[in-house]
Amino acid sequence: MKKRHFSQKYLRIETLPTLFCPGCFNGVVINALSKALEEEGVASLRGYVFVSGIGCSSWIPSPYILADSLHVLHGRAVAVAMGVKLANPKLEVIVIGGDGDLASIGISHLIHAARRNLDIVVIMVNNLVYGMTRGQQSPTTPRGLETTTTPYGSFEYPIDMCRVLRETNANYVARWTIAHFFQLKDSIREALFRLRRGFRYIEVVAPCTTYVARRLGLKPSSILRDLLKNSKRVEEIRRGDTIGEDSIVVGIFKSEDKPGYIELYQDYSMRARGVQSG
Amino acid sequence: MARHDEKSILLGGIGGQGIVYATTLLAKALFAEGYYVAQLQSYGAEVRGGAVIGWIVYSTQPIVSPFTDVFDTVLVLHQKALEEIEKKKFTYTRLIVENDLVSSTIEADYRYPIHRVAKKLGLEGNENIIALGILAGHGIVSREELRKLLESNKKNIRALEEGVKLVARD
Amino acid sequence: MNRVFITGNEAVAYGALAAGCNFYAGYPITPSSEIMHLMARELPRRGGVFVQVEDEIAAINALIGASWAGSRAMTATSGPGFSLMQEGLGYAVMTETPLVVVDVMRAGPATGQATKPAQGDLMQARWGRHGDQVLPVLAPSSPQECYDLVIRAFTIAEELRTPVVVLSDEFIGHGREVVELAGEVRIPSRRRPRSAREPPFYSEDPRVPPPMPRLGDGFNVLVTGSTHDGFGYRDTRSFDTHYKLVKRIWDKIWLNRDTIFDYEAVGIDDAIIGFVAYGSTARSVAKSVEILRREGIRAGYIKLKTLWPIDTKPIEVLAERVEAIIVPELSLGQLVFDIERAAKNYTKIYSFNKVGGGEPIYPRELVELARKVLSR
Ligand SMILES: Cc1ncc(C[n+]2csc(CCOP(=O)(O)OP(=O)(O)O)c2C)c(N)n1
Ligand SMILES: [Mg+2]
Repeated sequence: MKKRHFSQKYLRIETLPTLFCPGCFNGVVINALSKALEEEGVASLRGYVFVSGIGCSSWIPSPYILADSLHVLHGRAVAVAMGVKLANPKLEVIVIGGDGDLASIGISHLIHAARRNLDIVVIMVNNLVYGMTRGQQSPTTPRGLETTTTPYGSFEYPIDMCRVLRETNANYVARWTIAHFFQLKDSIREALFRLRRGFRYIEVVAPCTTYVARRLGLKPSSILRDLLKNSKRVEEIRRGDTIGEDSIVVGIFKSEDKPGYIELYQDYSMRARGVQSG
Repeated sequence: MARHDEKSILLGGIGGQGIVYATTLLAKALFAEGYYVAQLQSYGAEVRGGAVIGWIVYSTQPIVSPFTDVFDTVLVLHQKALEEIEKKKFTYTRLIVENDLVSSTIEADYRYPIHRVAKKLGLEGNENIIALGILAGHGIVSREELRKLLESNKKNIRALEEGVKLVARD
Repeated sequence: MNRVFITGNEAVAYGALAAGCNFYAGYPITPSSEIMHLMARELPRRGGVFVQVEDEIAAINALIGASWAGSRAMTATSGPGFSLMQEGLGYAVMTETPLVVVDVMRAGPATGQATKPAQGDLMQARWGRHGDQVLPVLAPSSPQECYDLVIRAFTIAEELRTPVVVLSDEFIGHGREVVELAGEVRIPSRRRPRSAREPPFYSEDPRVPPPMPRLGDGFNVLVTGSTHDGFGYRDTRSFDTHYKLVKRIWDKIWLNRDTIFDYEAVGIDDAIIGFVAYGSTARSVAKSVEILRREGIRAGYIKLKTLWPIDTKPIEVLAERVEAIIVPELSLGQLVFDIERAAKNYTKIYSFNKVGGGEPIYPRELVELARKVLSR
C-alpha cells in the first residue's frame, strides 16, 4: 500500500491539487502546520476553526484544510475569529492570512486582538506583496522592490509586524521564513499546544514566487539558501542596531503566558454576576 | 375613533438647568400615577447656555403621538427657552415662568421667583425640582409620586416642598 | 406582563434579551449607545458575551463569527457606523448568517447632526451593499414596537437564516413611553443538519433556508462569501452556481414576503385622503388623522412596520379610494418612491419632508397639508 503523505489527513483531498502558482510557498505553510499537528497526535481537526480573509494565503484553510472554516471579507478574519472564540471558547481558532489582509486593511483588528491578548493563533503568510490581485505593493514590501504599483521601485517604509506586536499584550510573537521549516513547525506546536492561551502570532516570510522571487532574482534552486543567508536571529540584535534593509529578522520575539481575553472575560462576568443589577 | 383625553406639558430652560432630568422625573411620576406617558426632549442641546426643552404627552389611553405643538402647560426657567418656543410657533393654554430669568414684559399666567428662593434656602442647582414642586402645587402631578422618585436625596425633597409652597402662597 | 416606562433604546435591549440574544459587539455612537450600555450591564451577568470592539466593521464581523458558533447576535449603531457595516451585512446575506443590526437613525450624510433624528437610511438599509441581495428591514414607531420588532427580527433571522435590520430613530430611541414586556418569548431555533450529507447552502424549496451547521459540531463546514455550491465549495466562474445561489437567497426573502411584511391600516375603508408613513413619523400621522376625522374629513393611514421586502398591494387599495396620498418623511423623500411606484396611476401623491434640528413633523402640519390638498 502506498504510504500517505502526513498532511493528507488534514486536507480535503478532493480539492487538490491547489490552485496556487507552481512553486508557491503556501504549500510549505500547509506542511508545517500539518507536521505540527501530526507530531502532536491530532487525529482530526474537529474543534478547530480556521478563519481567513481574502488573498492567496487565505485560501490555505478554505477549502484545503479539512475542518470548519470561515472564509470571510478582506481584512476581517481576526474580527470574525473574535466572535467565534468568544461565543464558544472551547473552539481552537486559527487565523491564516496575508500581509495585505492582516497588516494593511485588517491591521486594526490584528493590533486590537493583540492588545486584548485574545486567545487565537494568527499565522501571517508574508509574501511581501498582494499576490492575489497581481503583485501590488503591500505594507511589508521591501524598499526598492518593483511591484505593479511601484514600477520604479517601492520607496515607502515597510512595517515590521513582529516589532509592532511585541509591544502589545500578545503572548507570543515569532517570525520564520519558509527556509526555517522546523523552527516554524515548532513555533506552531509551541503556540497551539504549549502556550494554549492568549494571542499568538507567527509570521512566515514566503516571498511570492510569481511577483517577488523572480524580481529579486531569487532562483528556485537557491531561494532557501538566500533566505537563510539574509536572516538574522532576533536575539542577536541589540537595541539601536541598524538592520540592513535586505535582512530578515527571525526568531521568537516574545513568549509569555499571561491570561488571555477569555479568562479575563470569564473573571469579569463572574464579578458581574456578584453585582445586583440596579 | 375614540377621542383622547391627551394632555401635554412642556418644560423649558437652558443647558445646565436640569430640564431633561426634570422632564424625566415628571414623566415617571405621571406614569406611576397610572397614565400612559410619552416623554421626549431636545436631546443633545445640553450645551451650557443653549435652550433646552422637554415635553410630555399623557393620557388614560395609549398615546397616539408624542409630537405636538399645542401644550396645556408650559413652564420655563429661562427667557431663551421661551424664545425657542415662540420660534417653533408652539401654542399653550397656561404659562408658568421663572420670575427673574424671563422678561417681565412676558404675560405669564404665573410667575415664581424660583432662583431667588433657591438661593435663599441653599437650594441652588435644584431649581428644576422646585419647578416640579410648582407643577405638583398646581395639581398637575402627584406630589407623593415625585417624593417617591426623589426619596434618596434630602435636598431634592426640600426643593420639591418649596415649590409646592410657592403655589400655596399665591 | 410587566408594564414599564422606558426609552426605545432600552426597549430594543430588553427585546433582544427576551429573544435570547447572548452576543453583542458594538462601538459607541449617538443616538444608539444606550442599547450598548444596557447590554454591557446585562449580558456578562447572564452568561452572555458583550464586547466593545475597535470599530463597527469589527462589530458586524464579530457577530458573523459568533452566529456561526451558535450565538444569537446583535449590534446597534447609527448612520456612520451603519455605513461601515454594509460590507459585513452583505457577507451575512451571502453566507445566510442570522443576526440583527439596529440602526437608530440620525441626520446625515456624514457626521450630520449626531443627536438629531432622521429617516434617511431607508434606502441604505435596503440597497446599501453591492451585488444582488435582499434583507428584511423592520421599522418600529414606538418603544413598544422597538421591543416587539426586535423580538420579531430575531425570529425572522433564525427562521430564514438571514441578517435583519431594524430601523429606529433618535425620537424613538430617546423617547420614553409605556411598554408591556412579555413574560417569556420563544424564538424558534435555527435548523441544524442531521448529517453531513445535507447541504448547508442549498435547499430544494427556496422559501426554506438550508440547515445551518454549528462550528465545532464536526461538519467541516466551509463558509465563504465567494460564490459557492451547496456544500460551500467556491465556484467563482460558472453562471449556474452564481445565479442559483443569489436567486435562491433572493427568493428566500421575497417568497416569504407575506410573513415578513407587516403594516397597520387605520380608517382606510372610507377615506378620501390617505397617509403612508413609518417610524416616529407615523405617530404624527395617526394624530393628524384623528384631528381630521374630528373635523369631519375622512382620513386614513397605513403605517409600515416592515420596510423591506414591501408589498404595495395595501397601498394600491388605499390609492384607489382616496383623492390623494401624503407621504411624510424625516428625510428629503425615500419611501415616497415606493408609493409613487404603487399608486401614481390611481391618485395624486404628495411628499412632505423635513429633516434636521430635532424637528418632528407636527400633526398640525399634516392636517393643514391635507386640507390644502383636498381643496385643490
Ligand atoms: C474590501 C476589499 N478591497 C480589496 C479587495 C481586493 N483584494 C483581494 S485580495 C487582496 C490583497 C491580498 O493580499 P494579501 O493579503 O497579502 O494576500 P496574498 O494574496 O498576497 O496571499 C486585495 C486587495 C477585496 N477583496 N476587498
Ligand atoms: Mg501578500
